[in-house]
Amino acid sequence: MARFLARRLLFSLILIVITSSAALLIARLAPGDMTSQLGPFASQVEVESTRTRFNLDRSPISQWGLWIARATRLDFGESFLYNRPVAPLVGRAAANTALLGVVSLLTATLVGLSLGVFTGARSGALPMFVRSVSLVCVSLPPLVTSLLFVFCAARTGWLPAGGMVSSTASNPSWSAWMIDVLWHLPLPVLALSLPMAATFERLQSQSMADAVHQPFVLAAVARGVPASRVLLRHAWPTSLRPICGVYGLAIGALLSGSFIVEFVTAWPGLGRLTFEALRARDVYLVAACAATGAAFLALGTMTGDLLLAAADPRVRQESVG
Amino acid sequence: MGTATAPGDLVGTGPFVLREYQPGQRLVFDRNQKYWRKAENGDALPYLDRLVLELASDQNAELLRLQSGALDLTHSELRSDDYIPVRRAEEEGKLTMVELGVAPDADAFWFCLKPEKKARDPRFAFVSKREFRQAISHAVDREAFAQTVFLGEAVPVWGPITPSNRLWFSPNLPRYPFDVAASRKLLAGIGLEDRNGNGVVEDKAGTEARFTVITQQGIGYYERGTTVLREQAAAVGIALDIVPLEFSAMVARLLACDYDAIYMRPVTTDLDPAVNLDFWFSSGSAHLWNMNQEKPATEWEQRIDTLMGEQASVLDFQRRQQIFTEVQNVFAENVPVLYFASPRLYYAHSRRMRGVVPSILRPIVLWNADSFSISSAR
Amino acid sequence: MRRAAWSLLLLIAIAAAAAPWLAPNPPNQRFDNLLYAPPTPVHLFSDGLRAPFINPWRVVNRLERRFDADTFVHVSLRWFTGGTLVTGEPDAGAPLLLLGADGYGRDIFSRLLFGARATLAVSLVSALLATILGACVGGFAGYTGGWLDGVLSRVSEFVLVLPAIYVALVLRAVLPLVLPPSTVFVLLIGIFTLLGWPIVARGVRAIVLVEREREYALAAHAAGASDSRVLWRHLLPASAGFLQTQASLLVPAFMLGEATLSYVGLGFPNTIPTWGTMLQDASNVALLGDAPWSLAPAVAIFVVVLGVNLLAQSHGRTPVQLEP
Repeated sequence: MARFLARRLLFSLILIVITSSAALLIARLAPGDMTSQLGPFASQVEVESTRTRFNLDRSPISQWGLWIARATRLDFGESFLYNRPVAPLVGRAAANTALLGVVSLLTATLVGLSLGVFTGARSGALPMFVRSVSLVCVSLPPLVTSLLFVFCAARTGWLPAGGMVSSTASNPSWSAWMIDVLWHLPLPVLALSLPMAATFERLQSQSMADAVHQPFVLAAVARGVPASRVLLRHAWPTSLRPICGVYGLAIGALLSGSFIVEFVTAWPGLGRLTFEALRARDVYLVAACAATGAAFLALGTMTGDLLLAAADPRVRQESVG
Repeated sequence: MGTATAPGDLVGTGPFVLREYQPGQRLVFDRNQKYWRKAENGDALPYLDRLVLELASDQNAELLRLQSGALDLTHSELRSDDYIPVRRAEEEGKLTMVELGVAPDADAFWFCLKPEKKARDPRFAFVSKREFRQAISHAVDREAFAQTVFLGEAVPVWGPITPSNRLWFSPNLPRYPFDVAASRKLLAGIGLEDRNGNGVVEDKAGTEARFTVITQQGIGYYERGTTVLREQAAAVGIALDIVPLEFSAMVARLLACDYDAIYMRPVTTDLDPAVNLDFWFSSGSAHLWNMNQEKPATEWEQRIDTLMGEQASVLDFQRRQQIFTEVQNVFAENVPVLYFASPRLYYAHSRRMRGVVPSILRPIVLWNADSFSISSAR
Repeated sequence: MRRAAWSLLLLIAIAAAAAPWLAPNPPNQRFDNLLYAPPTPVHLFSDGLRAPFINPWRVVNRLERRFDADTFVHVSLRWFTGGTLVTGEPDAGAPLLLLGADGYGRDIFSRLLFGARATLAVSLVSALLATILGACVGGFAGYTGGWLDGVLSRVSEFVLVLPAIYVALVLRAVLPLVLPPSTVFVLLIGIFTLLGWPIVARGVRAIVLVEREREYALAAHAAGASDSRVLWRHLLPASAGFLQTQASLLVPAFMLGEATLSYVGLGFPNTIPTWGTMLQDASNVALLGDAPWSLAPAVAIFVVVLGVNLLAQSHGRTPVQLEP
């Protein structure tokens, strides 16, 4: 197990380095650079000094080399757009996205799995209704859900129509700030978790239906085990296998979905930061964002693989090479 | 001292003091207790205790927050698409809408006229002739342009100075009224005719008058403007292919003169032309159609150089106006840049704000932030 | 349910194919006086039952988007004329706008029908190619195991995480400014296939990993089947359900991806409508209440996705949304 983890960690590290390096390289190749942000009528002196400051006057290889050397000392460069070191910027944005992502994932898992158990094991009008609603939600992309929710929030005023904190907050204590964030959280979380919850519900429902028809379940019922116990202690753990297999991908999808949701609901997370950095060709910021995104994805797939290994011993034998 | 300095260490004499800066999100300003200015009646300024600036990346989201009361002010004027929801909010008593008048700048359309880059392009032979650009100016129905692009809320313009710039606007400049026949005659005069019947004019050697127009992606006015322009140019036989590009890519091409034509609105920062010399001088870095020339490429640019040099150094205001009218004349005759319509600007803020005086120039509202106050009365 | 899904999808496919005939107006004809016009209601009664007719819109105020129906003018709908099923009198300023007009004064309903062609073609072909490529790579990786599997997995993770928009920006710079639509078509399909195959590959790999230890696979081995035969004839079909649902998931993702790419300047030119670019026009949320018909492309996308999901559901597979 330890070897497995160590290998995955090593590969994740390599993935992060390659991703951020590729982002850096592609940024050099793309037309225009950050000096375009100075406007088309900036003076030559200003343009040149900016280029020198960010090592853009050197060849791509040499720029990359300098960046890697600094990165090993945990210095990830500076952002042109915000005129400060990259690391705290990305750290804060990543934390915001992580907050959104984790809450959405938990919500989607709880709601999706419990509803799925309900609809998978039973038949009737209510399960049918839930299944249909689920099907509809699965067909709605996060872009549409976030637009709709923002529209409803703006019209009804029940929830803030975007952002993470109110602009009127003045000198908040930690608890007041927390409450403010909690007030702004439901909108993006709903938009992001709704399709995912529907996905989990559908998956759980299907696998529960499969599991319930297995012989060992019948045996348990025949032994006289009460129905709820059969469901939860016997059928459910088996039904988790396909979901675990998909969990890693779900986390990846969460990352790309959060990009759109953050944009529409003005949540100050990694997605919005990456977009702004891309627009401004702020190369070091983009590299750091790409690296963080890669880290999230690596973490997600590793979690997914771990869950899959935990759920299905057969996979454990053939650890990923 | 850069923008990474801690807020507490910044020095200034403004009405507000920076208390907090969250990069990419917001700036929080507190009242400067020692502000030097006082109101007319002797009250201490500023009235506000705190001002928060939020950095919004999406104008749609910003508008929503204004409507729902989360914001008191927006940083730029309304778009014509936003008129209806804001009007409705005004009728419901939530917002106040202000009409600012005609904008000081207009959407511009120009070809790259740098001989060093374009001399070997066969189309340059006719693009560099003023009759070609005059013909395009004739081909555009500016009234229809204003109606379609700005939903009627715009005035036709023919030059870089708009009617709202009262001190410097000259109404008696040469204009090119909408006249398709005149346009075609001008084109025929420089040898451009549709010889093969495909709807696009060519010169004697068969080079078609087909151009790629780059513009900035994502701005409704530009998209509508280029659509109308393309249709009206097609009616006289000039084919324009519109390519919306992302801002940085567009700027890169602009600086390298790596384009046929561009459609965009360069923002005016000041009304006095002597402050915009980088646009008027041929050596200027904002001389859109041929930037940073060492020597003026054409005789009329030389003339403008001389005139503007005088205009910027003479002290007598009347004389300056006379000279500048002459400059505008030369500009209008040679039409290096075409202008079509200048929009009327609207602004909206929350009901409770008092003392807000929006202006046409930027910053639209924050220029008198020390006089803002909040009232609970309606 | 299967029949319902199939008929729904078939209906959409037919509507897309027959767009020139079904669309009342050409998709690029602009009606200058009808920017943001609401849908034209079709009337049947005027002093008794009459042939269907419309009252043309007259603009009252452009900025406020207010229109009045000119009730004195009755324009009968013309059937089977000019190569279309039904139309009003577009050249006389009285077009039949079933879903209103967009910001340029173009008929949304006609653009929706024509947009179906470009959008569906790009999405379906890309989804198909991505599925095939992903199945091959994933199956190969899962079956072979070892360092090759590791390498392929890392490559697929890398592609998943790469900021796609950067690649698009670079392509935009390298290619000539004006591209013929056929080139754009091939380009988009290429980009989406390259972006989509890793998702399929991961899933197939996970399935093959498990399936290859099953009895039937071992039995096939024991019976002397070659590796490739075991892979193609036995293991990959086990992932058929996954492939079906994953392919169906890729379709809406590519539909929206096409809209994102055209934002970068790498999409179809303005003259060719697609559902993605039409959706961008509807992104001004504040106006959704006034002009709900501008959400028609979102509804269209939703209907297609729903149909595909229903189909997957009826085949006993669960539809999942794993990629926005």
